[in-house]
Amino acid sequence: MKDDFSWLDDERPLERSPASSGARRGLRRFLPRLSRLPRLRRRLRARADKASAPDSAAAILEGRSDRPVEELDNRLRALRERSFGEQPSGAEAPGALFDVDEVLVTPEFQRKPGGVISAVALSKAQERQVELLKDIVGGSLDASDEGDGGRPRLSPRFSLSAFIRLALSALLVLVVALPFVSSDYAVGDLTASEERPALTSMYDLLDDLEKAEHVLVALEYGPTAAGELDALTELLLRHIVAHSAKPIIVSGNPIALVHAQNIIRKINRSVAAFALDLEANQDYYLLRYLPGEALGLRELSENFADVARVSAKGELTGLEVSALEDMSLILLIAESAEDMRLWAEQVLPETEDARLLVATGYSAEPLAAAYADSLDEVVGLVVGFRDAYIYGEKLAIAYGAPSQSQRESTVDSAPAGESPDPQGAAQLPTVTAQSTPTSLPTATAPPTLRPSPTLPLPTATPPPTATPLPTATSEPVLYVEVTADQFINIRREPTTAADILALASEGDRFETLGKNDDGSWYNILLPDGVEAWIASFLVEELWIAAGDDSASASAPRQQTLMRLEFPLRLGKNQPRFYQAQASGAGDHPEFVLNRDRKGETSRLEAMTLGALASVLIIVFGNLVSALRAFGMRRSAGPAK
Amino acid sequence: MNFGQRLGIALSAFVAFAVGAIAVTSLLLGDNPAIFNNQPGSERAAELLALPGDVLLRLVVIVISLSVVIGIANLLYVHVGRVARGKVYSGALLASFGVAIFWHLTRQGDPSLLEAVQLPIESSLAALLFVSLVAGASRVMQKRADVWGLLFVAVVVLVLLASVPLAELAPLRAWRDWLMRVPVSAGARAFLLGIAMATVVTGQRVLLGQDRSYRG
Repeated sequence: MKDDFSWLDDERPLERSPASSGARRGLRRFLPRLSRLPRLRRRLRARADKASAPDSAAAILEGRSDRPVEELDNRLRALRERSFGEQPSGAEAPGALFDVDEVLVTPEFQRKPGGVISAVALSKAQERQVELLKDIVGGSLDASDEGDGGRPRLSPRFSLSAFIRLALSALLVLVVALPFVSSDYAVGDLTASEERPALTSMYDLLDDLEKAEHVLVALEYGPTAAGELDALTELLLRHIVAHSAKPIIVSGNPIALVHAQNIIRKINRSVAAFALDLEANQDYYLLRYLPGEALGLRELSENFADVARVSAKGELTGLEVSALEDMSLILLIAESAEDMRLWAEQVLPETEDARLLVATGYSAEPLAAAYADSLDEVVGLVVGFRDAYIYGEKLAIAYGAPSQSQRESTVDSAPAGESPDPQGAAQLPTVTAQSTPTSLPTATAPPTLRPSPTLPLPTATPPPTATPLPTATSEPVLYVEVTADQFINIRREPTTAADILALASEGDRFETLGKNDDGSWYNILLPDGVEAWIASFLVEELWIAAGDDSASASAPRQQTLMRLEFPLRLGKNQPRFYQAQASGAGDHPEFVLNRDRKGETSRLEAMTLGALASVLIIVFGNLVSALRAFGMRRSAGPAK
Repeated sequence: MNFGQRLGIALSAFVAFAVGAIAVTSLLLGDNPAIFNNQPGSERAAELLALPGDVLLRLVVIVISLSVVIGIANLLYVHVGRVARGKVYSGALLASFGVAIFWHLTRQGDPSLLEAVQLPIESSLAALLFVSLVAGASRVMQKRADVWGLLFVAVVVLVLLASVPLAELAPLRAWRDWLMRVPVSAGARAFLLGIAMATVVTGQRVLLGQDRSYRG
């Protein structure tokens, strides 16, 4: 019996041209020939023949011991025949996507008007729909395009549609790659995104965690979804451990457990400079694999103490948690709504007052959101990389500034007469009120912020003309000192539309190079040598003799300057990208400060560009198709 | 079919029904003293009632764990047979298996294979799916230029545009949210209801012997 993949096992030799039949060409010359390993080959072949093991999944299943077909009822018999049976006589050869014809096989019902079977027969319109779907999904394949044994092969002929698909793919790849090459291709502004209440709720709940609280973290995703969900997982784990709470990680997917271990390692690498380290079975717990999907979850909820006793490495965890009720929160990171359903059905009923937080991907959002809406226990939902980015920004704003009072607002460095930008406080307004890290273990000292020497900033271009200031005879240097009691913006050019390069606060001093023509902006020198501009009404002049250490840009009063990871490009005035890097060994908040935010930003911009390019491709392609169809109908004339 | 075979089938069916009934009863009613009207000793009775369910559950989990090992062994066996027939890809699979085991044993804690090989490959495949979907969506009207094709394209474009963080596109988000909240949510709930009902029906058919689980 031939199965769907029988052509894979086709033993017939491929037809070769006479010139090539005896010689091996290209890299194949360097591969060992199995036929030259006669003993091994004979032995393995004999074993295979002895077992008469067919080597496709369908054939193996076919050969299993099961109820005879005649014992099955009609429904199961039909299912079996459809799954493992012979190909129907006269079946079409597989198409370019060889599974399509199998999945969308048209039933051969007899269409007898008035007969019983007519109720389930496909109408002509439905048959056309099936053919249309086949055509769209799999394309068509001429008989001349089939190789040996019906094996599909690529058509050697030039195909315009294939060229168009290739061009579209290349365009998409190019557009998505651009933000990783240069930061000049960013489109959009995250501040235009609305922060979802479910995200705020999740953030607040995790932010209220206290030291040594336990959070059950379920990682239910495999490598396919890792690209989308890893960022969420890392951020949520960072947020949990930043509060010295203890995540207890479980999974019904063994790969996810390995992956979780790798994410913990990544977090550890990022805080190694601070002499911090997350210890297994102390700061976090990685429990053993839960087999059997629903059954594994049932075991977790029924016998949590037993499950929690052993780690994924077979070590005793020493976890002093007896039941799921001891969990403060349950955080589920799942790639499918099915996983969410399993957790909601198998675990939640076994808990009292449980609060479930869910993180999932875009593909699962429709089902997951519906499920979340219908369950009172689900109190937080974040979806995909976009929410991960917003969540990361909330963390950065909450923990990236030196103190809460300094973090409350920023002022745009507008010249006198212009009102300061009221939106400068933060692009996520809820953070200011709700993300106060009062529940954090108090760090021994507020993190000292300093400009990062590792991130080169683009040179200000074109350099605005600055009027040189008169040089004092004793060679004092003119500094400006920030007098505003809020964060103020330092810009690339003397205009509020220019990029924001850094944020400064009261007391910060900068060496001054000059003023603009109307004197409303000072041209200053940032500590890393980059020229920038600051509004004059926010600062006061200060002449200090050269060599006076008190005037140094790195003097104690210079500690609050925050350089942005890269400048804002849209002039929206929001300080989106703090480069807040702690200089001393502190407590856990540093965990949330050390992530690859530049890479995340590039990726978000790539997603935005990709979405726009996709819209253009879809709209343009369909517009052309619709116009062609319209033109063909007109040329065909009115229907008679 | 002789008498012995029929007896074997009847016995195995009886064991399956009995275990299923015990498990369902124990899991549904166990550990709930209220069903004994909280009479003296009801807690002990409830614990005893829950015990068979717990034991069976653990047994099943152990069996499933072993089945994973058996599955891996079967996979290797199948591909050894394929190598004997000269299948190069099966040889590559076996070689990869050996390398992964060796890597894990000799370089404990090094996540390179998973992080640098498997994750990028599977993520790339997921990305390819998106490219294919875009290419397919761009030629929907080529195959069917009617109102349904137009509706499909409009929804796809709306959802994509609503995901773009541009202030100018903010009004689209309200439409997108309505789509997700009303029609999509309705469809999702219908799916969930269907799944729930089918689970109940299939469960009772299996328990009553009318059907057999696809797991054998």
